[in-house]
Amino acid sequence: MDRPTAPPAVIELEGVSKSFDDTRVLDDISLAIPAGQTTAIIGASGTGKSVLIKHVIGLLRPDVGCVRVFGQDVATASKAQLYALRRRMGMLFQDGALFDSLTVGQNVGFPLEHHRKDLDEAQRGHLVEEKLEWVGLPGIADRSIASLSGGQRKRVGLARAIIMEPEIILFDEPNSGLDPLTSDAIDELIIDMKRRLGITFVVISHDIVGTVKVADHIGMLYEGRLVEFGPTHQILRSSNPVVMNFLRRNLDTSWLAALNAAGTEGVP
Amino acid sequence: MTATLELLGRIGLFGARVVWATVTLQVPLQTFLDQLRTVILRCMLPVIAVVFPFGMVMSLQGLEIFALYGSQRLLSPFVAAAIIRELSPVMASTLVAAQGGASFAAELGAMRIKEELDATDVMGVDSLAFHAAPRVLALTVACPVLNLMGCISGIVGGYFTAVIMEGEAHGVFMSEMWGLTGPADVWGTVIKTTVFGAIIGLISCYLGFNTRGGAAGVGRAVNDTVVYSILVFIAANYLLTSAFFGGAMP
Amino acid sequence: MSFVAGIGRFCIFLAAFFRATIRRPPHPGMVLAEAYRIGVKSLPVLVIIAAFVGTNLALQGYNAFAPLGGQRLVGMFVSTAGIREMAPVIAAAMIAAKAGTEMASHIAVMRIREQIDALEVMAVDPMWYLILPRLLGIVLVLPALTIIAIFTTLCSAYLVTVWQLGLNGAVFLEFARQGIQGVDFIYCMTKGLVFGIIIALVSCFFGFEAGRGPEGVGRATNGAVVTVSVAVVFLNYFLSELFYG
Repeated sequence: MDRPTAPPAVIELEGVSKSFDDTRVLDDISLAIPAGQTTAIIGASGTGKSVLIKHVIGLLRPDVGCVRVFGQDVATASKAQLYALRRRMGMLFQDGALFDSLTVGQNVGFPLEHHRKDLDEAQRGHLVEEKLEWVGLPGIADRSIASLSGGQRKRVGLARAIIMEPEIILFDEPNSGLDPLTSDAIDELIIDMKRRLGITFVVISHDIVGTVKVADHIGMLYEGRLVEFGPTHQILRSSNPVVMNFLRRNLDTSWLAALNAAGTEGVP
Repeated sequence: MTATLELLGRIGLFGARVVWATVTLQVPLQTFLDQLRTVILRCMLPVIAVVFPFGMVMSLQGLEIFALYGSQRLLSPFVAAAIIRELSPVMASTLVAAQGGASFAAELGAMRIKEELDATDVMGVDSLAFHAAPRVLALTVACPVLNLMGCISGIVGGYFTAVIMEGEAHGVFMSEMWGLTGPADVWGTVIKTTVFGAIIGLISCYLGFNTRGGAAGVGRAVNDTVVYSILVFIAANYLLTSAFFGGAMP
Repeated sequence: MSFVAGIGRFCIFLAAFFRATIRRPPHPGMVLAEAYRIGVKSLPVLVIIAAFVGTNLALQGYNAFAPLGGQRLVGMFVSTAGIREMAPVIAAAMIAAKAGTEMASHIAVMRIREQIDALEVMAVDPMWYLILPRLLGIVLVLPALTIIAIFTTLCSAYLVTVWQLGLNGAVFLEFARQGIQGVDFIYCMTKGLVFGIIIALVSCFFGFEAGRGPEGVGRATNGAVVTVSVAVVFLNYFLSELFYG
């Protein structure tokens, strides 16, 4: 088993710090997220994972340091440049962040309506239906958002995030608020999308089991600092006490031992 | 139509229960005083800020007209009358509905959906008497108090424009001020706003107390409170004004 | 001095809004949809309130002038006070109460459910998508609503004067006509326009800046109503000073 040379970094954070009201949420974070692979950022709730991901998409600006996506500094980008960057990215929000006043189909097709004026309604409808099938929800384009369950909302949110064929997708706690069965189903969906799209995924999660199934690389945040970052198998064997503590609390130890013994690189 | 009558009936019953709770002294005094203080503090500045410019505008328009006939000394009684009889009660009550009524509806609605009201009943304490009734009473008492603040604010506004900005005589303004209005009008405005306060209190607390349907229900209760309170007290305003100032029905 | 901070944030908001919308024409369909919704939502309440304002203008006018023997002047009082001051302010107040609070709470809910972030992430400017159609919608619909308010106020005042007070309707109308000039209608519309713009921008501002959770929505809606009310009455004074002073 050998590790290939790390692919080029598509997202880079250098010395990023961010504070809110005297609380330092991110403390000198430096991170290079490789292209075409799935990277997970884990940590206990409230440790700044969502804040980190919002820096990547430009919803927040760092107090110190810089964030680069596709080589472009996000914080100093003009609005036009930022919007151009965002058209190459997709994001799945915690609760889907779908628009209640529109149908499922109108939600999924929303980016197309605004950015692909070259498509007519029929073409848009076709693409919407295709993406809905990919996420396992064919034929619901005319339903209202209110009629969807939590798991269905996440799937629709994901369909909307992929419809513009982005190069990067960000997932903000994809398993939050779901029962174990549905949570597993979402993990399977993410793995399926990985295979289908082969693009860069960045997943924020506190669900370590799902993360281990899905991620090629894992970074762990603790009290605002990045305590470790590396390929999944390396993190699982980490001797860092903070990491070990977190893993031990969240993973069944026999499974952990089995994974270590098999020397897997993330996706079993 | 029947739905509205049904609603009115239920609010009436609610009101009867509040009155009974008050008369039988089941309403906690401390809660009532706390809520009264809260409403007055919350609404004080908006009421003063809203009625003041009305006084200014009354002076502005009034002077223009009275100047035509050389009867500027009629300005201050005109302003005082307009403010005390109509503008202050209506504006103050509108703000009490929007600020006080809306927030009580939200508070009681939140208590309902978090089952705090049920918990109170289960402990053998009447949740209506304990939580809702003090708020109804607080609004009933706060409204006339705030109205009086509004009246003062409006008259000061009228004075400001007339004397300070347009240079009318201070002495004339002050001495003529009570020419049109007397104690009857002051009583009238106090009674009006007490009635309006009771209306706002009953509607807002009824809607909050009987919220259904989660957080969305609370939102609906708040929205409905403001609109219905205003509609009802505006209608009541017409009836009360007719009663006080009468018509010349032959 | 959070009031001053608030004004500062509002100015930043306005600047951002202008930058976002200045050369981006809106979606006509969305503007019309908003105009229709605002109009339909505000109309019933507006008519009822305007009617009652008319009744009270008539009653109070009579009460003030009758002792001086001037009951014929009621018509003039109603039309002058009604059109110059009451109609634009009432139309504004009702639109603020219904449509304004709905704007503030709708946008606030979107804010707390990350839907505004989602718009940003999808590279659609939330100010252009959410606020511009609402602003233009109000501007379209307000003149009509103001005219309806004027008409309703005059009608109900007439009815009260004739049926309840027993005065001569023709005299009322004659003096009513004398009380106004064409330019008063223009001033009235202008006031309505300015108020409408304030209602849209301030309500949307509060929604946009809403804090977390359902309490954030409540505070946003509340703040919007109170701020709009105070802003409208002060602006009313300044505009009256400008037009009639």
